Amino acid sequence: MDREYCWDREVITQSDCPETGEGEEELFASKQQRNLEKCAECPRFLDDLKQMAGDVTPNPLAPVLATVLTEFRRQKAQIQSLVSFLDNKTLEIRFLHELGSVLQSSVDLDEVLSVAMTAITAGQGFGMNRAFLLLCDREEGVLNGYLGLGPRNLEEARQVWGEISQNDMDLQTLAQNFRRTKLSSEREKFHDVLELLTIPLSNKDHIVIKALDGRRPIMVKGAFSRPDVPYELARLLGVDDFLLMPLISRNRRVGIILADNCITHRAITEEDMHSLETFGFPVAFAIERASLYDKLQIELNRVTEAGKKLKEQQQLIVRMENMALVGRITSSIAHSVRNPLMIIGGFARSMLKNSRASDPKRTFVESIVAETRQLEGVLDEILNYSDSMYPTRDFWDVDQLVEASLRDTADVLTSLGYVVGYSPGLGLPPVYIDFKQLSYCLRTMLLNDMDGTCADRSIAISSQNSEDGVILRIEDHSRRITQSELDHLLVPFSETRDLGAGLGLALCKAMLEKQGLPFEAQADQHTGIMYTITLPTRKEEQS
Amino acid sequence: MSRLLVVDDEANIRLLYAEELKDEGYEVVTAASSAEAAEKLQHGAFDLAVLDIKLKNESGIELLQKLVKERHDMPVILCSAFSCYKDDFSAWLADGYVVKSGDLTELKQEIARVLAKKTLKVKAGA
Repeated sequence: MDREYCWDREVITQSDCPETGEGEEELFASKQQRNLEKCAECPRFLDDLKQMAGDVTPNPLAPVLATVLTEFRRQKAQIQSLVSFLDNKTLEIRFLHELGSVLQSSVDLDEVLSVAMTAITAGQGFGMNRAFLLLCDREEGVLNGYLGLGPRNLEEARQVWGEISQNDMDLQTLAQNFRRTKLSSEREKFHDVLELLTIPLSNKDHIVIKALDGRRPIMVKGAFSRPDVPYELARLLGVDDFLLMPLISRNRRVGIILADNCITHRAITEEDMHSLETFGFPVAFAIERASLYDKLQIELNRVTEAGKKLKEQQQLIVRMENMALVGRITSSIAHSVRNPLMIIGGFARSMLKNSRASDPKRTFVESIVAETRQLEGVLDEILNYSDSMYPTRDFWDVDQLVEASLRDTADVLTSLGYVVGYSPGLGLPPVYIDFKQLSYCLRTMLLNDMDGTCADRSIAISSQNSEDGVILRIEDHSRRITQSELDHLLVPFSETRDLGAGLGLALCKAMLEKQGLPFEAQADQHTGIMYTITLPTRKEEQS
Repeated sequence: MSRLLVVDDEANIRLLYAEELKDEGYEVVTAASSAEAAEKLQHGAFDLAVLDIKLKNESGIELLQKLVKERHDMPVILCSAFSCYKDDFSAWLADGYVVKSGDLTELKQEIARVLAKKTLKVKAGA
């Protein structure tokens, strides 16, 4: 060792070693590190070794060192390859972990599909250009095209991939973004292809069904020339190579993913296929779970709806029981009270009819007749009030309602000198009301004011269509009272001698409120009373 | 003279109807139940029947249905203490409907109207 070798020096400079570059300055002062990292690959070092072996007095270690060096270089290359492989696998595991976390935490089918399809096509994922998802419809016995994802042409690919690389989003963000903004548009975009991707599960010779039944991915190369690939499928996809990845969950066929590189035409590798195979299981499981959750949700909604209906039925039964009870009570009152009243009043009238005008007891009998009449009026109103508690609604014609009420009151109103006019609105729709109760209300409003205090004994009725329903107005110009007096009449059992038992208008208000019909009664001392009722034209939702 | 059958389970009401309707010039026969009414109908013809809807343990509506079926030429006026029976479709079989009242004017008017209608019908038939 008379010569001086760079690899043998403790400290060197950059000009001494062509193998070191910028940032590797620490190797200049570390001989051992430099030998391991740089010298083994350095041609100068290999030349030195050859020279040593060919010297006049060859170094006996030189050939051994050459062998060790060769082995060292081979192993180093192998380690580097393994490190690269491990790095790739680490990335893949990290990706699968991220994917698995999202898939496991979601029961929303759209979210699961968005994540799965984004993973297949995203650069951070498997990087395929395009993917189609076909799902099994077990009831119909077919495999149906469900979703497609990817660009349809180079121009679109450039635009989409450019956007993705600019935004630098992770897989989850990409999937969320896809679900929010593109899921429905992608479905629409591939609608024509998806419609044609319907394959009967019984078609065992079809390449797609073969992959599904075989539960193994199939890499299809040369699709246009393969006898087991239907020409229509190859033509539909427009590619020669594609990958079929079955989705199997608990031995059940969920569907299949069909992926290709229709834009870049990058060859699909065995490694692509194995990676996708690993990915297939969690995707199939997540899709299966999300589908089951969807079905569960539908069943839950049905059960909830059935529970709601049951509750309504129970309430209806209680109401009907109440109605029956109210009916029995009122019927009992009607017979217990009305019959004696009728007998007393009837015989009193009979006595009055047969008594002389000069009979001193005639006044007493007249009082009996008057009081029984009064009591009969009260009884009528009480019975009507109880009747009003349970309206029976249906669709009725407004004109028919008004005309029936006018017909019933015509004799009395005419005898009192009233003039009643009705201006019907044009093209009125049917209204949803309890006809009997509304008819009673109109009659009460018309007759309640028959003791008009003003010379103008006219009543104007009008109807008109509006957004809220049909508005019915009754303008009674004969009665001039204050708003407070009118409000008093709207309170049940208010004492107003001149208006019978004082229940008429209050009963109308109760009936209308019970039916949920807006009712207004406005009094003006100069123009009279105006009643406004808004009649619904739609059957409202039963609460 | 028109012959009327009054069916009501209340004795005083039967008495009142009988007195008042006799004053109007009718011949009045009363019955307290469906069975008694059926018996009276077997023994003579009537121009009109006045029925109470609610008899003691039976329904006047059922009696009405029987009468319409067997005596379709005899008009029937229903009397009730309860106006809601007007909404019972079965009650529509009757020729008239009156809510009970101490003032029998409405009942008398209804009887006169129904009898006049019957007379017109008979004349038209002849």
